[in-house]
Amino acid sequence: MPRRFHDVMHFGIFTVGDVAPDPATGRAPSEHERITRMIETALKAEEVGLDVFAMGEHHNPPFVTSSPTTVLGYIVARTSRILLSTSTTLITTNDPVKIAEDYATLQHLAEGRVDLMMGRGNTGPVYPWFGKDIRDGISLAVENYALLRRLWREDVVDWQGRFRTPLQSFTSTPRPLDGVPPFVWHGSIRSPEIAEQAAYYGDGFFHNNIFWPKEHTRRMIDLYRTRFEFYGHGPADQAIVGLGGQVYMRRRSQDAIAEFRPFFDNSPVYGHGPSLEETMEQTPLAVGSPQEIIDRTLQFREHFGDYQRQLFNVDGMGLPHQAVLEQIDFLGEEVVPVLRKEFGALRPAHIPDPPTHESLKAAQAR
Amino acid sequence: MRRTIAVVSAGLGSPSSSRLLADRLSAAAEREVRELGDEVEVRVIEVRDHAHDLVDNLISGYPAADLKGALETVIGADGLIAVTPTFTASYSGLFKTFFDVLDLLDDDALADKPVLIGATGGTARHSLVLENTIRPLFTYLRGVVMPTSVFAAPEDWGGAAVPDLLAHRIDRAAAQLAGEIHRRDAPVARDPFEPTPFADLLGAG
Repeated sequence: MPRRFHDVMHFGIFTVGDVAPDPATGRAPSEHERITRMIETALKAEEVGLDVFAMGEHHNPPFVTSSPTTVLGYIVARTSRILLSTSTTLITTNDPVKIAEDYATLQHLAEGRVDLMMGRGNTGPVYPWFGKDIRDGISLAVENYALLRRLWREDVVDWQGRFRTPLQSFTSTPRPLDGVPPFVWHGSIRSPEIAEQAAYYGDGFFHNNIFWPKEHTRRMIDLYRTRFEFYGHGPADQAIVGLGGQVYMRRRSQDAIAEFRPFFDNSPVYGHGPSLEETMEQTPLAVGSPQEIIDRTLQFREHFGDYQRQLFNVDGMGLPHQAVLEQIDFLGEEVVPVLRKEFGALRPAHIPDPPTHESLKAAQAR
Repeated sequence: MRRTIAVVSAGLGSPSSSRLLADRLSAAAEREVRELGDEVEVRVIEVRDHAHDLVDNLISGYPAADLKGALETVIGADGLIAVTPTFTASYSGLFKTFFDVLDLLDDDALADKPVLIGATGGTARHSLVLENTIRPLFTYLRGVVMPTSVFAAPEDWGGAAVPDLLAHRIDRAAAQLAGEIHRRDAPVARDPFEPTPFADLLGAG
């Protein structure tokens, strides 16, 4: 079944793929368990009608996500409708030629149900492990992506740059499905240069606002929108924006807080800093009843304007698999249907739909 | 011209000898700046008031609202007076954390800013802490550190062999700070979200 053509927004989940102990039991899943459970969350997301599943890329413990196209290729074969994406693909340390090949292949297998989010990666030693220098992070992202775009758009590429061996008469195969390269988002939390890059190309900009106060997120998104218009891709409010979010739900708000707190307090990211309550006030972390999560998510539109993609983080930090699946049920059955309706009703007609292979193909044919 | 001097004092007690020294330094600097014809406002930041927020900032990556206000006071000031107690032969950890977090928010925060450094300690034997650890910190942050730094040992508050030695150093350091402030333009707030044209980013490769 093809994707609906006129989705107002895409809602989905994204995962980091960390292996972490459950603080209640002290037991961590094996890598094998973590990988198979991650796949079950993707299948569950499709089952309950979510639009997107995205996974991160890491090359160090405690993560199991070093090979995203292998995992996504498997999920493609087990699903028929959900769009698969990355959060993020390391444009700095991966060879852009291999990204071009891997994701074009995945795009064919998935009949176009694929897009990507570029990111630089924030683990210092990964750069030297792949023969790069973290101080070149922005330059690598700029140069590698410029090459990736050409590999997908030009059949024969001659190329020379700073970071990779030159190419003469190189053709990246397979060519993108229907001659339409996968849609690209650029993800960055704090680098204005990446918002500028997304704006320059008219690509999407994703702000993983999970850990950050909304004032900061707004500055990044405003910069992207302003520069999108500056580069002639259309009015600022038609720029393609995606946002993150982290949620944990129970029927009763106080149960959600009580259950989530030990995971929060022991999280390598959240733990031992601002309290759960302070973090919920300062950042988009939302722990409560489904209605509270709906209300919090609707506020994103007030802060950042109409946007196209909303990804929720619902796993990791050692959260039990059953609780994760229940979060996806809440999203699919109660939260996202309301958000679709409410966002749809609030959205002016000139705001673009989230891009899909079909919409890009239609745009290219015009 | 209207000037502001930010005073960062990292004493933990109340009253603290670091604050005592900071107040003497800022009063002298205020007087010297006025004598050069500028108006001046002194804004004091007690690092202790932001102790928890500082650690939270290291963990979470963003400053709480009060702390952000304090950091922005330093960034926007014409000059900085920074005073720390000596702990284990160095600045206090909290004092260092304040400047670590300032650098996280804006790595140009102290660039070309006149900085007067002071320290207190339980014995005059610590006095080179200013030259050996505190001056290099502010040099690293690209501040313009005054040649005269001021250390106050217990005997400087009474019973010193030369009772007005501390006062002389304070006046000399304050005059240096006022002179450096006076000959500079007001600091221009840098907008971290100012776009870099993409052609420049491509060209930089």
